Amino acid sequence: MVAHFDTMSTIILWLLVLLFAGAFAAQVATRVRLIAAAPNTFSVDDLGARGRRFLVDVVFQRQTIAERPAAGLAHAFVFWGFVAFGGYTVTEFLHGLGIADLTGTGWFYTYRLVLTPLAIAVLAGIVFLLIRRAFVRPVALGDHVSLESIAIGLFISTLMITFLLSWRLDESSLAGRINWWTHLLVILAFLALIPASKHFHLVLSPITVFLKSLELGRVPNLDFEKEQVGLETVKDLGSKAVLDAFTCVECGRCQVNCPAWGAGKALNPKKVILQTQDALLAGKRETKLGEIYSEEVLWQCTTCGACENQCPVGIEHLPLIIGSRRGLVSNGDAPEYLGGVYNHLERRGNIWGLSYDQRQKFVESAALETFDPARHDVLIWLGCAGAFEADFQKSLRSLFEILRGRGVRFGVLSKERCNGDPAKRTGNEYMFQELANGNIEDLKAAGAKKIVTSCPHCVKTIGADYRQFGYQVEIVHSAVFVEELTRGLRGAAAGETVTYHDPCYLARYGGKVDEPRELLSRFGAAVREPVRNRENPYCCGAGGGLLFADKEEEPGSRISDVRFTQLRETGASTVVTACPFCSIMLKGAQSTAGTDLQFVDLMTYVNGRLSKS
Amino acid sequence: MILCIAEQRGGKLNRASWETVAAAQQLAAGQPVTVMVAGTNLQSVAAELAAAQVQEVITVENAALEPYTPDGYTAALKSAVEQMSPAFVLLPHTYQTRDFAPKLAARMNRAILTDVTAIKQAGGETAFVRPMFQGKLTADVVPQGPSPHFVTIQIGAYRADQAARSSSAAPIRALPVTLNATEIRQKPEPPFQEARQAVDLSQAERIVSVGRGIKEQANIPIAQKLAEALGAELAASRPICDAGWLPMERQVGSSGQTVAPKLYLALGISGAIQHLVGMKGSSVIVAINKDPDAPIFEVADFGIVGDLFEIVPALTNALKE
Amino acid sequence: MKIAVCIKQVPTRDWQPKLNESRTWIREQDASYEMNEPDAYALEESLRLKEKHGGEVVVCSAGPARVAQVIREALARGADRAIHVEDDGLASADAFVIAEALAGAMKDEQFDLILTGLQSDDQGFAQTGVILAERLNLPHATIIMEVQIENAATRVKRELEGGWFQWVKMPLPAVLTIQSGINQLRYATLKGIMAAKKKEIRKAAAPASTTPRQKIVSLYVPEKAKKTQIISGSPAEAAKTLVRKLREEARVIS
Repeated sequence: MVAHFDTMSTIILWLLVLLFAGAFAAQVATRVRLIAAAPNTFSVDDLGARGRRFLVDVVFQRQTIAERPAAGLAHAFVFWGFVAFGGYTVTEFLHGLGIADLTGTGWFYTYRLVLTPLAIAVLAGIVFLLIRRAFVRPVALGDHVSLESIAIGLFISTLMITFLLSWRLDESSLAGRINWWTHLLVILAFLALIPASKHFHLVLSPITVFLKSLELGRVPNLDFEKEQVGLETVKDLGSKAVLDAFTCVECGRCQVNCPAWGAGKALNPKKVILQTQDALLAGKRETKLGEIYSEEVLWQCTTCGACENQCPVGIEHLPLIIGSRRGLVSNGDAPEYLGGVYNHLERRGNIWGLSYDQRQKFVESAALETFDPARHDVLIWLGCAGAFEADFQKSLRSLFEILRGRGVRFGVLSKERCNGDPAKRTGNEYMFQELANGNIEDLKAAGAKKIVTSCPHCVKTIGADYRQFGYQVEIVHSAVFVEELTRGLRGAAAGETVTYHDPCYLARYGGKVDEPRELLSRFGAAVREPVRNRENPYCCGAGGGLLFADKEEEPGSRISDVRFTQLRETGASTVVTACPFCSIMLKGAQSTAGTDLQFVDLMTYVNGRLSKS
Repeated sequence: MILCIAEQRGGKLNRASWETVAAAQQLAAGQPVTVMVAGTNLQSVAAELAAAQVQEVITVENAALEPYTPDGYTAALKSAVEQMSPAFVLLPHTYQTRDFAPKLAARMNRAILTDVTAIKQAGGETAFVRPMFQGKLTADVVPQGPSPHFVTIQIGAYRADQAARSSSAAPIRALPVTLNATEIRQKPEPPFQEARQAVDLSQAERIVSVGRGIKEQANIPIAQKLAEALGAELAASRPICDAGWLPMERQVGSSGQTVAPKLYLALGISGAIQHLVGMKGSSVIVAINKDPDAPIFEVADFGIVGDLFEIVPALTNALKE
Repeated sequence: MKIAVCIKQVPTRDWQPKLNESRTWIREQDASYEMNEPDAYALEESLRLKEKHGGEVVVCSAGPARVAQVIREALARGADRAIHVEDDGLASADAFVIAEALAGAMKDEQFDLILTGLQSDDQGFAQTGVILAERLNLPHATIIMEVQIENAATRVKRELEGGWFQWVKMPLPAVLTIQSGINQLRYATLKGIMAAKKKEIRKAAAPASTTPRQKIVSLYVPEKAKKTQIISGSPAEAAKTLVRKLREEARVIS
């Protein structure tokens, strides 16, 4: 646009720019101050991987498009268009402020030509999104239509329309000048509105995504030397958590993927992040986090990680929830049912409080040898379920048969403690570190190089969380190990229809979704996928200490019941599981539902087909 | 002489006293055995005890001994035991004995061996056998120091019918003891049984528990009848309570009550771990289930593999005989 | 209120028995240790009484140096300070010796109330608390389910056999042995563990020589291990057999 600028207009524009930019800066400053005042929790390890993730997720918008293709693509166009328009906006302002006039140049003309189809794409995208928000009203976006969002949507539409109109209107005409001023005023209004709205993600989300941990649900160890006890009040929130709170774009992906929310409970991860934002802005530094979120909500999380995994703007929900739990537990405010679990862990080193001769009975009856690195290829980690849960021990016996049949030599530790996962995820950091240190000592003494286990929680905790203690070992889930072991084999062609429930800690945390399916189809099963599968399963409800919870008085249904219904609706008569706790929860849900689905652990299934072939 | 102290409450003899007499007779091996009982209104109790094959029955009567207090019994029995000068004093290991016997032994500076299950001769000495380390080990223990030595006998270690009776009644003698009522610092109120409004499974001595094997709510009375025949409380695993067939207070398991009764009968319960952790502390576990692979059999002391609809009524009948 | 809790450190319930050379005691080097569980309930009760009536809770324990572990656990749960009667010989001592060791260290403290567990998981005498009361010349009551404090007296609920109970009133100071399972044990919080490091543990010497009142001449593993007896036969036969076994072998019905 080449517009006539007299001195008056220039002065007015300067005043407006200073006013609105000032408003922008002031609001940003408030938030930056809050981030700076928080204890530093930013980490920038492995810049290469972070850079790659930035490219894929931010630049190419993979995360946004993946779960919601239509809306995601529309958003991608708006985003790319926004970025592309940057140069245009700057040029127009420079001209209007009387600093430089590049609007007559040839490249600017070419630039405007290139921008035109983009503007149409952006307009189409934003109109689609507006209709979706105002009329389709998906649940994730909340109960009432956000006027702020409508305003922003109209702003963007206006910007595109005014840009397109600039081709038709004579810049010196009244209509042309109104068009130009509208465009710039909308930009200025937008600017002032951004910091206090969810559109602040425009500025923050690239930073937040870059700073997000490369590991899902990374909760750093507490340093007892420094008297760290967890997150008690708002002022304890780390800088990443504060940044997260301001980055939230309120898309609701975390909410609709949360199994607790899906079962009608009070926990809503989106609400937790927004409550954090409100508390920070209200200056409630000394308020307890338990009051901000309500303690009840904090104890409904299974730590499945769906929220954090789905978030397109880099928010880490898990360290916030688990950190808040630590603050409660350190002060003795854990829910009653966990007190018993902690006492069991302390006295007996396992979650059930059962005596060790029961594990010994199993070891003897399964003829297991004590691990000796000179004679054995792998160490089998039994885990709490493997040591004491008679049902799961059947699956382990199948695993032992498979291994023996393929000539794998293996042994077990003479003593195992719980890996510490229930303590860690429920916020009892002291108990976790005691157990972890003890186990690491025993594992080091045993000289184990490769560990195989059938419990995904053990895989995640020993494989990932123990690294914070400086202990690194290769630990794989039995599905992965057996898949590799049986490659090239063919089982009896059964053609049986089964459904497979991905365990959260194996699929989402571990990324292992193909190996179990490979095993099933290799041995003649036709897998019917349930809704919510592969890297985004719907939790069985056992994690985060909820295995022990008695949640009768809570609103909504049981998470396990919801998942059971999803599995039943596949129409398969057999459910294959790969985690002892998924098995416990889902079988429990079946006994309430009164149906007669067959439940089989993956190892038992494979062993059964192997022996037939 | 072996002195055996019997226990009575309200004129009723505690059956465990006969077990103690049997133990005393074994220990005495022909030497005289005397039975003593303390309290008030002891005539009928003394007469009952006189049927035992013992040298005599001693009554220690004093108004200050009713109701029972550890202060009162310690003072009275110290005086009585000193007058009798036995080699050993045997008592049943009841709650009441545990309440005063150590005090009595300490006041007299004499050894006391508690919770003894057998008496044997080892290397010329009399040794007393007792469990240690939660039953993981057994110890043969010899008392040290001057006599008398106090020994409490575990309930059920000897059988009441093992006590030898005599055709002629033993003589009964009253023994005067010095007892200053003002020395008694305890003021007991009358004993009572808990009102049965709420179900408190944790206090039950016997429990009959039902699981999915009961199939329908209409079948629960089968288990109920067995519970009545046993004097047991009715309990259930989670699915039964979830379905509303029994109230939530009767649920045993990790999300229900934790119980440790003397006897736990699991009917049609598979033994999933959440149920197991609620009842693993039971002294004796009996499992009835038609699945021989059910995990409950791993923890049961006694098991019957079969149809509970046939076995449970048979059990109820067998108990009534 | 000044409350004392006597706790004992015992081998963990998981520990597999290993005997020493002379087979008169266990091999202590092979054992791992924990707080005696009945004492944990006594500790919990003492902490609740402190929360209700104010005052301090002093943990008292007699045994070798390793006993400091359970003392710290008690301090981490909320006890204010501790007394440790330290002596290696106390590890295998009988109740008389232990009670006298504790009485010697505790008598000058003028406690209002002394709580102990009803027996220990290792020797299981169920005597120490009662003998302690006698040595301190204090009234006592055993197997207590509930404790009420009013003025300078206590009213406690005793458990009797067969589902009977009895309330007993006594003046303070007094000694109580606490029944297990009467309350929900609290776990040691992180803050409690950190604070415990700074709390006082007063060392006391064991009395010169207390004559033991018993001697273990032989310690051995009992023959019968717990094995499931599957009863076969027709329903009527199996039922009869089961009733007989419950009556005569297990002795849980009469």
